[in-house]
Amino acid sequence: MGSMLGDWPSFDPHNFSQLRPSDPSNPSKITPATYHPTHSRALPPPDQDVMSATSICCVVANQSYIVFAVISTDAKNILLRHIYQRAEEKLRPKRAASENLTPEHGCKQARPSSSGAFY
Amino acid sequence: MSIWNYVVTAHKPTNVTHSCVGNFTSPQELNLIIAKCTRIEMHLLTPQGLQPMLDVPIYGRIATLELFRPHGEAQDFLFIATERYKFCVLQWDAETSEPITRAMGDVSDRIGRPTDNGQIGIIDPDCRLIGLHLYDGLFKVIPFDNKGQLKEAFNIRLEELQVLDIKFLYGCSKPTIVVLYKDNKDARHVKTYEVALKDKDFVEGPWAQNNLDNGAELLIPVPPPLCGVIIIGEETIVYCSANAFKAIPIRPSITRAYGQVDADGSRYLLGDHSGLLHLLVITHEKDKVTGLKIELLGETSIASTISYLDNAFVYIGSSYGDSQLIKLNLQPDSKGSYVEVLERYVNLGPIVDFCVVDLERQGQGQVVTCSGAYKDGSLRIVRNGIGINEQASVELQGIKGMWSLRSSTDDAYDTFLVVSFISETRILAMNIEDELEETEIEGFCSQAQTLFCHDAVNNQLVQVTSSSVRLVSSTSRELRDEWHAPSGYSVNVATANATQVLLATGGGHLVYLEIGDGRLTEVKHAQLEHDISCLDINPIGENPNYGQLAAVGMWTDISVRIFSLPDLILLTKEQLGGEIIPRSVLLCAFEGISYLLCALGDGHLLNFLLDLGTGELTDRKKVSLGTQPITLRTFSSKSTTHVFAASDRPTVIYSSNKKLLYSNVNLKKVSHMCPFNTSAFPDSLAIAKEGELTIGTIDDIQKLHIRSIPLGEHARRICHQEQSRTFAICSVKYNPSNADDSEMHFVRLLDDQTFDFISTSLLDTFEFGCSVLSCSFSDDSNVYYCVGTAYVLPEENEPTKGRILVFVVEEGKLLLIAEKETKGAVYSLNAFNGKLLAAINQKIQLYKWMLRDDGSRELQSECGHHGHILAFYVQTRGDFIVVGDLMKSISLLIYKHEEGAIEERARDYNANWMSAVEILDDDIYLGAEHNFNLFTVRKNSEGATDEERGRLEVVGEYHLGEFVNRFRHGSLVMRLPDSDVGQIPTVIFGTVNGVIGIIASLPQEQYTFFEKLQANLRKVIKGVGGLSHEQWRSFNNEKKTVDAKNFLDGDLIESFLDLNRNRMDDISKVMGVSVEELCKRVEELTRLH
Repeated sequence: MGSMLGDWPSFDPHNFSQLRPSDPSNPSKITPATYHPTHSRALPPPDQDVMSATSICCVVANQSYIVFAVISTDAKNILLRHIYQRAEEKLRPKRAASENLTPEHGCKQARPSSSGAFY
Repeated sequence: MSIWNYVVTAHKPTNVTHSCVGNFTSPQELNLIIAKCTRIEMHLLTPQGLQPMLDVPIYGRIATLELFRPHGEAQDFLFIATERYKFCVLQWDAETSEPITRAMGDVSDRIGRPTDNGQIGIIDPDCRLIGLHLYDGLFKVIPFDNKGQLKEAFNIRLEELQVLDIKFLYGCSKPTIVVLYKDNKDARHVKTYEVALKDKDFVEGPWAQNNLDNGAELLIPVPPPLCGVIIIGEETIVYCSANAFKAIPIRPSITRAYGQVDADGSRYLLGDHSGLLHLLVITHEKDKVTGLKIELLGETSIASTISYLDNAFVYIGSSYGDSQLIKLNLQPDSKGSYVEVLERYVNLGPIVDFCVVDLERQGQGQVVTCSGAYKDGSLRIVRNGIGINEQASVELQGIKGMWSLRSSTDDAYDTFLVVSFISETRILAMNIEDELEETEIEGFCSQAQTLFCHDAVNNQLVQVTSSSVRLVSSTSRELRDEWHAPSGYSVNVATANATQVLLATGGGHLVYLEIGDGRLTEVKHAQLEHDISCLDINPIGENPNYGQLAAVGMWTDISVRIFSLPDLILLTKEQLGGEIIPRSVLLCAFEGISYLLCALGDGHLLNFLLDLGTGELTDRKKVSLGTQPITLRTFSSKSTTHVFAASDRPTVIYSSNKKLLYSNVNLKKVSHMCPFNTSAFPDSLAIAKEGELTIGTIDDIQKLHIRSIPLGEHARRICHQEQSRTFAICSVKYNPSNADDSEMHFVRLLDDQTFDFISTSLLDTFEFGCSVLSCSFSDDSNVYYCVGTAYVLPEENEPTKGRILVFVVEEGKLLLIAEKETKGAVYSLNAFNGKLLAAINQKIQLYKWMLRDDGSRELQSECGHHGHILAFYVQTRGDFIVVGDLMKSISLLIYKHEEGAIEERARDYNANWMSAVEILDDDIYLGAEHNFNLFTVRKNSEGATDEERGRLEVVGEYHLGEFVNRFRHGSLVMRLPDSDVGQIPTVIFGTVNGVIGIIASLPQEQYTFFEKLQANLRKVIKGVGGLSHEQWRSFNNEKKTVDAKNFLDGDLIESFLDLNRNRMDDISKVMGVSVEELCKRVEELTRLH
């Protein structure tokens, strides 16, 4: 049992070395300062709407260059993407009958019509 | 109350939902980062323990909190995703010591069904992508480019619709997820997928495992060299990888949280639903897993998150009890536990119910909450302000001043208490029996009022009266020297420290003396143009015995001036404005910052930053403490200096995080205070109030005081009964060791002083206590506890049977007087026109209290009202009944006496799923619903048509971001009728996250003012991670999102006081209101809680 518990990992052996246990009936009361950012580096660039479909840009703030990315989701609907992908596949010369397709492809192709109801 | 409401947090969320450990603030530093639903706390690991760094409010409810290290970075970044589909990546900026935003975005989809099992956010261990499962059937990918920057997100279709958990696997050449899911037959399986970033699609993964434990709910990915995944079930734990499968049985338990111990992933801490902490070990030979082992370590709070910190210390974050810092010992203690709890962090959540009581009968409300759950259930008594614990008290009229003195200069304790009256001075001292008795200091003048007293160097005491300054030996108590006021002049005000005396006589004469060994020397004299009203020379420079500045308050020109010592050169003159003279000035230092405090005769207090070198006064601020003149004094508690402001509303002024804070002292008018630190009563204060001298100790200096009463069971409803001085609670005790009879439900009676259980009534098997009420009935002078119950049978969807039990408290015992069976769960009970109004499933039912022929009593049904889905929450006012429905929002009913009937008058036709309702006034009702919103509706009595009158108009909407379980009218602070805030009605609310909040109805003028301030603050205080305050507070449910209206965010408004002067000036300019006025008005609002 001792061997199972033994050797707790240590990042800095000094951490907690001088901890004085407090009275357990007296809970810890130290509260950190509340942070209210007033610098402009917490904000997305002013000319960019968060919801818009643009991606990465650079902002100059407080004399330092900060790369600040506003991420949005691919505007193309997942179904549309599938349709386009299938359209591309259809353009390719057909290889064989559908039963010879690999299982995952069979799976992927069979569903969109049924999952359309879900969306 | 009104429709213009101000919402503010009195107690921040304490429910710990997430935690993680990493090198966030520096590559060499280890940080613990904790999420408390809408806040993040950053801590630093130090030799002394956990050191709090920052409390960061997040404009969202945190769904995911993860640290990760992008390629080429020396320290970790923090990824946060919120429940309303925003995310951000924060990085620590060492230069400014604050987090900055690296990336942010919106990951919502326009169409999609939100996942039932909560949102999942995961980061690929090789930092190739972030994965999010937010909607059923979709897996969202935010890819990183090769520079570690996030790129445009896209969705991948996920075939599995009932996902329980998703994790990234370690050690895969392509990013690979493992999905734990339920099929449509409720069987559980895991499956792996590779994420093909280029094709934006999944590719079948390397392995899958079908038919797992029916309770499998948690995946733990194992890092290299072992890799693979651990699947935690309720009865088995399985290790799975492409080439290994190992399983062990466990004692049935639900594992809620895990924490990885070793970097190689060979050991994990597991926390279960009953608070047991286990160690799971993967045994292996080199990289080959040979088996699993599990060992019980001990008991903690029920963990929602576990973070291994360092050197055997572990953080246990809890949603159901207090969070803990524990140490894992190598040897078990006498009870066989390896766990040692070293720190406890208070958590009030979940607050299921609470009541507002005035136990000390001081006119000060206290909140008693039903907090925690399961074995960690407790009652918490939450009280605002600082209490004085009276040790001794004596009747003494007409006290004009008090000072404590030591019997020798290096004595650690005070001996004498000098009490000054209009024409005499009396001296009290502690005798050998530690009693306070009257004594004499021969060298003092006892036939005159003492203006000031102080210990002086060389075992001396100094006393100032209107005619002289006397220097007295503290050992022989004999007079050693005396300075006489010039004839025709009398001393009006005086102050002193160990080596200096400053006094003022009529005609504006300022005289400065220095104290030597047996000698008083007049060093300097100055003639001012006006009379002097107050003085101070408290030394706050390097020398604790010698001050270099004097503060002087003036009559006539209403100014405060700073003079240098010893030469009495005027350094600064500050006009106070107005017509009220300064009555007390004090030089003081808090947290290394020097201040001048200046109290006026009308209860206002000004504070300035003081430059010790130049005497310059800056950053003037004004607060209103009371309405009477204030006397300022310093005192020490726990070796920190604070200031006591004695007035009609005594206040302690202290500093926290370099900001001055004001906390009420829970006493009525105090005329004088002085510290009196004796060996018998260490760290005590002597307090003069209303004909009484009290010696007492002071509570810890903080705003809210929380006392914890652990119950070992889950209290779900609470009610206070003034007459019997008791509380009644409905509680449930879980018995995890006995699976068959695992729950017991009680009605318990508690003494309202000791909080001991004094009587218990056990409910039937399957019978839950749902509501409790203290009330009396018409024609019966007794006061009863009524308890509503429900029989919760496993085979029923909704209870079809319940009871109303009527108890009376007799000799400290609960006596069942009457019971009435009901056709459903009694969700709510209200006293109503001398009768009992019950909400029973979909019905509102009114009962009369009838006297039977044999003299016994019974509840008899009078009338009722159908038409609800489930009538959960009921409030009444006069003949009106406001019902909060499970899903049909708020409706208003009226009881018609003549007809003996209850009819619907109006309703809100929105489909709000209610969690609490309250009546604000005759026409306005407040509701909280399950999407964490608040709203108000108004009765439209003036409507032209029946249709209009039958509609409750929505007048206020606001996203609180908290799940409110209860509203109660009341206040946490002492309401003084003559203060401004005393007129503002308030409602208190309690939430699942342990928040206690206040909703205050403001007059329209105030509302408009603060609305403007809020709009301006939004421009200055930026949301962390670029999150928008306006979006955060917008009312949001499945159907609509609309801007908040008629509610103000008090937390944002009060953060005005935390801004630096420049930012305050900016806002002041835009508002066209002075900073001083803004501070004063905001400070007044902070006094609501």
